[in-house]
Amino acid sequence: MIKRHATSFALLLAGLAYFVPSVAGGAPAAYTACTTIAILAVMAYGADLVLSYLGEVSLGHTVFWAAGGYSAAILAVNYGWNGWATAGGAVVVSLVFACLLGLATLRTREFVFSLVTYAAAVVAMEIAFNWSYLGGSDGVVGIPPLDLPLLGWKFGGATNDELWPIAWLLLMATLLFIHRFRRSRLGTSALMVQMNPDLATALGVDARRVRLAVFVTSAPISALAGWLYAYQRAYVGTDMFETYFLVLMLTAIVIVGRRLLLGPLIGTALIIVQQNFFSIGGDGDKIVLGAVLAAILLLWPKGLVGFLDLLANRRRPAPQNED
Amino acid sequence: MSSKLLGRRQVTMGATMGVATLATPLLVRAQEQPIKVGTIFPLSGPAGPNGQACTHAVQVAAEMINAKGGVLGRKIVLVSKDDESTPAVGVTRANEMANEKVAVVIEGWNSPVTLAMQPVLARADILDITAVSKADPILAGQANPFAVRINSSNGQDGSVIADILANRLNAKRIGFLSQNDAYGNGAQSVIEAELTKLGKPWEKVVTEQFPFKQTDFRVSLANVKQAKPDAVVAINSAESSGMPALIQQYRQAGIEGTLVGAVGTILPTVFRIAGEAMTGVVSADIYFPDLPPFDGIKENIEFVAAYKKAHNELPDKGAALGAAALEVWASAANTTKSLDRKTVAAAIRGKTVPGTILGNLTFAANGQAQHKDTVFKVVDGKTAKLEVLK
Repeated sequence: MIKRHATSFALLLAGLAYFVPSVAGGAPAAYTACTTIAILAVMAYGADLVLSYLGEVSLGHTVFWAAGGYSAAILAVNYGWNGWATAGGAVVVSLVFACLLGLATLRTREFVFSLVTYAAAVVAMEIAFNWSYLGGSDGVVGIPPLDLPLLGWKFGGATNDELWPIAWLLLMATLLFIHRFRRSRLGTSALMVQMNPDLATALGVDARRVRLAVFVTSAPISALAGWLYAYQRAYVGTDMFETYFLVLMLTAIVIVGRRLLLGPLIGTALIIVQQNFFSIGGDGDKIVLGAVLAAILLLWPKGLVGFLDLLANRRRPAPQNED
Repeated sequence: MSSKLLGRRQVTMGATMGVATLATPLLVRAQEQPIKVGTIFPLSGPAGPNGQACTHAVQVAAEMINAKGGVLGRKIVLVSKDDESTPAVGVTRANEMANEKVAVVIEGWNSPVTLAMQPVLARADILDITAVSKADPILAGQANPFAVRINSSNGQDGSVIADILANRLNAKRIGFLSQNDAYGNGAQSVIEAELTKLGKPWEKVVTEQFPFKQTDFRVSLANVKQAKPDAVVAINSAESSGMPALIQQYRQAGIEGTLVGAVGTILPTVFRIAGEAMTGVVSADIYFPDLPPFDGIKENIEFVAAYKKAHNELPDKGAALGAAALEVWASAANTTKSLDRKTVAAAIRGKTVPGTILGNLTFAANGQAQHKDTVFKVVDGKTAKLEVLK
């Protein structure tokens, strides 16, 4: 009964989310902000899978994000593929990269894992910079509007209000996937491997296999975000590997709290809304972001949720001593 | 009671007068409303001071144009945004400009940022004038078929630098210190192609690449020193941080080869930071506020005086390009009596726009402004004294 109510409530929320841009005034600015938040949140969910469920900080998820963007750009511009085909290409390319990187980092943990994934991102960026097939340092220009033909209908477009339904669908599909993942055998095994590796081994869980599976599963999520981002921007360049996106995805995850279904979405929304509507200049924004991040990690390592817990505990009356 | 039906002419006249009466306040209001002009430059980060100078210059030019009656009889107001030298931020700012319904956007210090913003502005049907960014794909027409650029292109600059290297310095062993992006790589490949075209023997003895934000070049410079070049071309658009740092460290490394700054990179901000280390640097540029022919152009004299009054310093080349971009757009809009992107662009591309601070500015059919370069050598870095090389 409770489960049925929860499902209905989630569906209602998801449906209402679709109307956020129109409720926010329906101006192009609202559609731009909502589409960007949806895309960047999906990007963050890819890294969230590794950070929240494996407990590892992947500094290489910009590779999958960029792989999605470059796949869309190259396949659409050079070969004229439609949106479905470029999305398929983005998923395949990211899976190949994730398998290679996952196998390479199979034995690494914590700092070394982060360092190796970061090195992979640097190498990938240099390759993209210097390989003319990928546009070299100029990037790929002239990406056509997103074209998603389905049963005689055509979905997609070029402007943010046209792309919003696709971004919303992608976000909802990602949320559903993460929700299912948390309850799946892989999700629970990953948590067990992170929290109590000895118990996991005793129960016959192959930790390396689980780590590889989670890492590979996370890649297409960030890649699909990069795929849609390429159509939103109509240009793909090596900046997709830059720290701007890496910092954004990691901050979006930790600012609210790890292992929360809506955490990366709320985190991304907070950052983008601040940057778009309450910007105090480039340097100022970075100082605010850095200060907020440092304060949260120092004061409430669990994120804003930790702060809310603290408030709730203070309001709760202290237990009475009956002796 | 007598009723009289109105004739068709009376109905038409009445309706026309009615519509005219109702519409007049709207039309008057529309004509009185100022025209929004957008600027997107880096206002923070390594190129922040340069972007601020561009923005200040557009503001000064806007005030001068407003004082002369504005554009289509309307005042210009500026909407200025910071792209943070980051393509993704530039895209956000370009979207904001579309939402602000600006008539034109003057943008671009970093080529990757310009390339990222172009499709967004083109889709929003906003005229996009690139003030500074030099990469050649900006005018290729794929992202923006109505592109206009005020600064010289990598292609134009390449032949000037190749001429300096081969004919003035007789350099045979040439090194490159290049920014690793659309601007730096494009500039280097054009210089190499132009050197080969000149037919004199030359050899590339070293290439060191670096990201836009880099300020420590000591490892790269050690490699450059080892290669014993006759001349080294420095291509670095971070004129408020990376370029002066590179020049200082070049001198500290004791490299003997002549340091050649890419066209337009030796700006006042570089002198301010690098100081004495600038002595001996050879370069070229398209604008000097107080040198011929610009010291004889009426519009430039007025602009330099107004800029100096507002900001207590001379405008640099980047500032002049920003101001010229606004002048070019205002002149084309007034000539065509239109704010339509395609109409205004057609009055610029392939045409000559008279009366700008850069003189009568001629544009190629692809929107590229044509300039004459002045080659110079820094004879005293401390006082920024230049010797013009004939």
